[in-house]
Amino acid sequence: MSPWAATVGHELRSAGRERLPQLLLMIFIGMSAASAFIGSAAKATVTEVYNSAAGQGLTNAANPFGNVPPLYYARNTVIYILLIGALLAIVIGVQSAMRDRRARTIDLVLTRCLSPAGYLGAKMTGIGLGLLAVLGASALISVLCISAVTGSIPAPDQLLRLLALFGVAWLFLLFFVALGTLSGLHASSYTTALLVPIVIWSVIIFVLPLLGTAAHPVSLLNPVTPPAAPQTGIFALTRSLTGPLSLGEQFKHVAAILLKDPQATGTMTGGITVILVFLAAGISAVVLTGRTSMRKELHD
Amino acid sequence: MTSLITLCGKELRDLSCNRSVRLLIAFLAVVVVLSVLVAAADFRTKTADYTSYLAALKASGGAVNAPPPDLFPLQMLRAGMEYLEIVGSLFAVILGYGLIAKEKNNGTLELLFTRPLGRHSFAAGKILAALVIWTAVTAALFAVITATLLIAGNAPLTGTDFIRLIIAAAHTTIYLTLWSLAALALAALTRSPATGLVLALVLWLVVVLVIPQIGDTMDPDNQIPGGLFASLQIDKAHEHAVMANFTGYETSRDLIEQTSLTKQYERPLFAWLGIKDQYNQQSPAFVWAGTFNHTLWLLAGFAAAAAAALLAGTRDKLLRKA
Repeated sequence: MSPWAATVGHELRSAGRERLPQLLLMIFIGMSAASAFIGSAAKATVTEVYNSAAGQGLTNAANPFGNVPPLYYARNTVIYILLIGALLAIVIGVQSAMRDRRARTIDLVLTRCLSPAGYLGAKMTGIGLGLLAVLGASALISVLCISAVTGSIPAPDQLLRLLALFGVAWLFLLFFVALGTLSGLHASSYTTALLVPIVIWSVIIFVLPLLGTAAHPVSLLNPVTPPAAPQTGIFALTRSLTGPLSLGEQFKHVAAILLKDPQATGTMTGGITVILVFLAAGISAVVLTGRTSMRKELHD
Repeated sequence: MTSLITLCGKELRDLSCNRSVRLLIAFLAVVVVLSVLVAAADFRTKTADYTSYLAALKASGGAVNAPPPDLFPLQMLRAGMEYLEIVGSLFAVILGYGLIAKEKNNGTLELLFTRPLGRHSFAAGKILAALVIWTAVTAALFAVITATLLIAGNAPLTGTDFIRLIIAAAHTTIYLTLWSLAALALAALTRSPATGLVLALVLWLVVVLVIPQIGDTMDPDNQIPGGLFASLQIDKAHEHAVMANFTGYETSRDLIEQTSLTKQYERPLFAWLGIKDQYNQQSPAFVWAGTFNHTLWLLAGFAAAAAAALLAGTRDKLLRKA
């Protein structure tokens, strides 16, 4: 077995043994499963509310939920990917880098015929494969739950869209794995290694969208596409500056188009490009980490 | 008592010298101030839009029916309060974890417990320090927020507004200290403080983000951009009449939300600041009558976290795990 394949295998086994990522994983998969049922309860209530209002002659408007596609039930999953998935990815990345530094195995590994870039690339591949398995399981659970709620299996086109969503989610989460790994490789302590990427995550998810659109932080947790952002005054400028950096909003936009949200407009090209640029930057920064940084001593 | 004060004083000196803590608090202040500036800019944009709409309407000879946007200065604090709710609590977790982690990592625990300390003095000193530090930080944050509102937001504040701000600051102090104490207890109870940190982060994720998110997304009015009832052109009075038929669903949704202490903090906070329309410009007695139960739940959560920290931070438990 080549050192590269051995490292990939070792990474998969080690990640599988860690209890804390397992806890986050259970929450993530549990919430993915609950997502369809939460959507179903909300949709049923909205329809009843509409029928009640229409019955009393309070509205002539059409039922906004009259023709909801099955993919509607996966909308909450997008938010759980942003929140739980991203934190899970950070924790996995940090723990992967910290494992070697804590046990001082990195000194031994680097005596073998494997370059630091090759070793770190293999580690990222291992985590990427593990994450792919997790998202594959989540996708399967989503399909099963949507089928249970709607009473029929989604059509092939809808299944493809759902798979595409989890594919984009994989790219999105890999950036956070890279961020966590990078932090784990460079931080002087476990605490700092965990905190720095979490602060960056909170800025990306909650702060940047506010600067560009004046959207309230809690409203960003609602899967409903927000009303069009102000296009005038200072927001036209701040949006052009912070929009491309708002990785979470870019992911939500791509997801909304994939899930055929009627309120979502535009194309996915910009969003996917931003996600890929972030991912490429993150992975490059990880694999370019030097031997000295990797062997740096920990202070806790 | 003397040892408690000594421990608390030492903790406060350590925290004030800690560069990471200072950076996190400065970051929190910047984010909250930015949110007020953004809210002020948003209000100016809306006012400018209204003025140009009015001018266009007058030029075309139309009658003006739409009222101008109302300025309620404390409503500009909504995003800032949400940052304290989410990011503030995250930093409180980090601070609480740090109170135990540094002793465990530096090996000072054994040394501390060679002194004649009371059974709960060590934990009580830490709890008091957390309370003092968050009182000071919240007071500073609210002072900065108020100054930003007055200067950049150009918002006139009345005497009642200042009282409302003080009550909001008191709720915030309890909420943030609660998170620090919960993290302190978990860091004390786990073999490795890092494990305690991740457990505290999982707890934070569930309580601060997941439960409120479930409640919010189950709200029928949150299903359509701009609100379901607005899209159906149904006014508030009729909205309440319609929703009266869905009390079972609303009660379940409310119960889900109420299991999160974040919502127990948010509800009185938004009421006192007039962010919730039903409490805007209402008397303090009215706001208190509508929200005191949430304040009491928040206090109960605080008491539970303090008790957990007190019981977890004993010599037996800390040295057994160290």
